[in-house]
Parts: sequence; C-alpha cells; structure tokens
Amino acid sequence: MTSPVLAVARPVGEPVHDEGSGAWTAGFTVAVTEDEPVFAGHYPDFPIFPGVCVMECVRRAAESVRPPRAEGLRLVAVESTRFTAAVHPGDELSVEVTWSPRAEGWRCAAKVATARGRTASVRLRYGAGAPTC
Amino acid sequence: MLTPAQVRATLPHRYPMLLVDRVLDAGEDHIRAVKAVTLNEPWYARLGPRATPDELAYPDFLLIESWTQTAGILAKRLAGETAEGQVMLFGSMSGIEFHRRAFPGDTVEHHARLQRAVGDTMIFEGESTVGGEPLLTMGGITMAFRPGEALAPPPS
Repeated sequence: MTSPVLAVARPVGEPVHDEGSGAWTAGFTVAVTEDEPVFAGHYPDFPIFPGVCVMECVRRAAESVRPPRAEGLRLVAVESTRFTAAVHPGDELSVEVTWSPRAEGWRCAAKVATARGRTASVRLRYGAGAPTC
Repeated sequence: MLTPAQVRATLPHRYPMLLVDRVLDAGEDHIRAVKAVTLNEPWYARLGPRATPDELAYPDFLLIESWTQTAGILAKRLAGETAEGQVMLFGSMSGIEFHRRAFPGDTVEHHARLQRAVGDTMIFEGESTVGGEPLLTMGGITMAFRPGEALAPPPS
C-alpha cells in the first residue's frame, strides 16, 4: 500500500486471541527516525510527526495482524482519534492494537505511547464498504 | 478566494506536507478549497514498474490531513491576531467516513464549516468530494492554538 510513512511496525510477541469476545490483541514498536520524508515540511525547522502519520502507523500495524475473518475488509471509517502529545524524530512508538468483531465488520482500537507516555488513541472501523474507485 | 501564494503564507506546512492548492471561497464560518492529486506525488516514488490501482490510490489519511489543513486556514482567519506566533493543534477527530478513493488526475474539493467554538477551541465538520461524488465525511475535529513551546521536543 502506498504510504507517507517509511517506518515499519515491528511485532512484539504473538497476537493473543480471546475466545470469549473473539478479539485479537497485538503489540508493536515503530521507530520514527529523522529520515521520515514528512519531517521536511511538517514543519521546516520544527519537526513534528503528523497525527495522520501516527494513525498510518496504527493502520499498518493493525493490518499486519488482521484476524482471519477480517480478510478482504477495507478501512471504512475513523470512529475517533485523540492526540495528547507530540511525536518527535527519534521517538519509538509503542502500539497496542485490539481487533474486535462488531455487528457490521470489525473495530480496531489502538493505544499509542512514546517513552514520555500516551500520545494517541485511535479507533478504526473495517467493513465490506466502499468501492476502490 | 486565496491564491496558492496566500495559502502558502497562511499555513506553516511545506513540501511534501502542504496539501491544499487553492481556496475557492471562504466566509465567516465556512471554507471551500481544492487539492489536485498527481502521479508526481512523492508517495508514489517508491512504486515498482507495474503499480496496481490500489497502490495508486491517494493515501486515505493524507486526505484527512488535506481536509484539516483547509479547516486550519479557516481557523486561522477566525482566530485573527490571537493566532500570531501560535501553533495550530488538532486535539481529536470523530465520525470520519471514507466513501471512495482518490487517484492521480482527481481534483479533491474540501468543504469545512465551523460547528461551534468553545473558548479558544474550535470544532469543524464537513466533507470532501471528487467530481461532485462523496469522498470523505468529516464528522467533527477539534482545533486549538497553543504557544510553540507546548510542542517543543524534550531536552536530549
């Protein structure tokens, strides 16, 4: 998938499946280096990793551990996101992703932190949804 | 109407993250702007010799960024002098729906409206279209202006 982010989400351990709820949980780390192309313009002399790029890291982490029954679904909505602290070059993101089955499709909720604490929470929704063009 | 030069003067964003090309019109509580998607976008630079249609879809979250930059121009106009020297921050977003994808050659039109203002925080809503067809619904985003030090990197 075409992406504005170079950094790769590295898994921390194996995804954990909860039989009762049907949810899957997985952890990742993402090293945000000064080589990310977005820093050149966001902002010149004042590099901040854009919130949408934090969301992109969540998405790529989440889609690398899609539950078997969520295969073929696409991102149809961002239910909510909250940004609580800025991410800078050199930060390592810790991302915890939980996929939960819903009446229509799946919800993917993520918590994102740096060494300084929580930086964002993101809730995505996947479904049969929109056409590709 | 804001020319590309005026857009550039209003937003602190620069290449490759300046994602608004021109403002079509801006009123007291609404704004309409366009972003043209081209094959020359930097995000396509690493594609192999045969790109799939999916790979040529403009990154979904950059559409959100482009819309929020449009809302940011309106926010800056509304804030006036109080925004001088301050950094524009997005606190939260909700109810964002994707209806289709954008491709090179598309002109994306963003429409943002001020839903309400609480203290120094503004909440915007709106949508984006391509050729009159729905692309994105933006349920609500909150934005505030803060001193730059609030975002400064930690001492290393």
